[in-house]
Amino acid sequence: MRPARRPVRWRLVGLLAPATLLLAGLFLVPLGIMATYSFLSPGLYGGVEWEFYPFNYGRVLGAPLGDVEEFDPVYAAILLRSLRLATITAAVCLVVCYPAAFWVSRLPAPRKNLFLFLVTLPFFANLIIRVYAWMLILRPTGFLNTALDTLGLAAFAPDLMFTEAAVIIGLVYVLLPFMFLPLYAAVEKLDPALLQASADLGATPWRTFVRVVLPLTAPGILGGCVIVFIPAFGNFVVPALLGGAKVMLVGNTIEQQFLAARNWPFGAALAMLVLASILVFMLAVALRAGRANPSVRS
Amino acid sequence: MSFRVRLSSALAVIALTLPAAASAEGKLALYNWGDYINPEILDRFGKEFGVKVTLDTYASNEEMLAKIQAGATGYDIVFPSVHMHDILAKLGLLEKTDANRMPGFANIDPAALRAKSDPKGEYCLPYAWGTVGIFYNKKKIPQLKSWKDFFDYAAKNPKKVAMLDDMRETLGVGLILNGKSVNSRDPKEVKSAQEMILKHKANIGAFTYEVVPLVQSGDLHAAHYFVGAMMYVLEKPDTLAYVIPEEGATMYQEDICVLKSAPNKANALKFLQFMMRPEISVLNTIQQKNGSVNIKALDLLPPEIKSNTNINPPPAVRAKLQIFEDLGKDLKTYDRAWTKVKTN
Repeated sequence: MRPARRPVRWRLVGLLAPATLLLAGLFLVPLGIMATYSFLSPGLYGGVEWEFYPFNYGRVLGAPLGDVEEFDPVYAAILLRSLRLATITAAVCLVVCYPAAFWVSRLPAPRKNLFLFLVTLPFFANLIIRVYAWMLILRPTGFLNTALDTLGLAAFAPDLMFTEAAVIIGLVYVLLPFMFLPLYAAVEKLDPALLQASADLGATPWRTFVRVVLPLTAPGILGGCVIVFIPAFGNFVVPALLGGAKVMLVGNTIEQQFLAARNWPFGAALAMLVLASILVFMLAVALRAGRANPSVRS
Repeated sequence: MSFRVRLSSALAVIALTLPAAASAEGKLALYNWGDYINPEILDRFGKEFGVKVTLDTYASNEEMLAKIQAGATGYDIVFPSVHMHDILAKLGLLEKTDANRMPGFANIDPAALRAKSDPKGEYCLPYAWGTVGIFYNKKKIPQLKSWKDFFDYAAKNPKKVAMLDDMRETLGVGLILNGKSVNSRDPKEVKSAQEMILKHKANIGAFTYEVVPLVQSGDLHAAHYFVGAMMYVLEKPDTLAYVIPEEGATMYQEDICVLKSAPNKANALKFLQFMMRPEISVLNTIQQKNGSVNIKALDLLPPEIKSNTNINPPPAVRAKLQIFEDLGKDLKTYDRAWTKVKTN
């Protein structure tokens, strides 16, 4: 048996090597550089000075104060606001996509494929152009208000441009496909016979939904929420263009540190804190999911 | 001047190649702000010297610096603002060109030698300059003269004005209104500028660079913007206007610098000389609608540009303009103030 197994294992190593090398080279090494930089002091004109400087985190967290670097609660406020907007974005995406996923999954195959294609269609155009197009829709004399005006609904025409609502609309629009695709994959696998069985055994539609549909599609819900939440948390294009930069999010703060403020170590520290908070969030989600639905764990 | 058409360069790093002149004789690689040189100049230079000219663009001084510092090679010429010219010099990234000994240097306004590191023009050649003022829609506001008018209007028409999403420019307005230098290193002065902007923040619709289509459509009535807006004002003088506020304003100037790492130094020097020619310099001013540093070129300007006091301000107005200096470590004061302005 042994000699037969060996070549298979080597083949496996060979097949996994590209992915491993790619991850190590393009993910772990840059992450290591960032982690290192976040403990150094800023160079006068960008870059870093190679001296240990632990106060970058203190500026956000407030722990090691000293007079070298004053703690400022403004950064915690920025992190919390980003967290809130990302959570709202994920929730709105979920509410929009969940019923849509059911609808598409029940369509005949050709139309199903057409809808899947339509969902991915926006990826063919550049993100900034698409966000810019939203400026044309949302501005006071934009397409939305012109349309309302034509319908005689001018009284209801909102002024959404440069508001938090505009930021949420933009983020939802950009990230919608990331919610739809994992949800669809989960819903598609749902066997209609199970719903029938549940009904036959006397469950009300609501009970069927809570006890059968929801647990079986939970992996899709979780997956969708996670991959919508993470980019929403760090996005800086949408708040800058649609929010009029009046709503500073953590992505914008990091950009400011690397460019205008020329403080790479503080930017790196902020980025590491974002990473840490996302890890904590995901861990919490995974633990809760595991508790609610033991089958997900295995 | 980190507000220059950020979007256009974010959208496309335009590589402008000139196949007609592409011969074995050489290349020249420019790294410039987006939409900041008349393509005809590159075309002419390429044809005259048989050089293949390429152009990459950046959206801010810092972006350019970060890229050069990260070891980007292959660029011959960059167009830093004056304070960035000083920084590049301090970091030893610039090539000494002896531009001041070139025959055309006499055409250059001596007052345009603004970089502290290069008072004689031994390294870089002044390129162009302009002011940062207010761009507004006359259908909404018949006349606007000052920052006071701007903020008074905003108080009555909230969210219909915008300021630049630029740390130093926008805090600079606060400093100007308080009668301070835009290069103040005094944390108290910067703090009161921060408070000045925060006081008006509720009335300001946005901090953004993308104001041109919004002012044109009347969605924004007035916006803090640079003199490049004259491009649109001259097309629609009945609807649009640009003004240098009475209280004073900031000005910017870019210089043409050759990098130490330039692969095509000989062609880069030819380009500096080429840009000293009044008939070439004027091509740029006519297209860009900004200030010229070439005294001889001023005479060649069409009257509507030459006599335009926004593009070519009289001495009394020029005296009220301030230019940014590199603040070194004190930049931190501005970073903190700006983060507060945008968060609170």
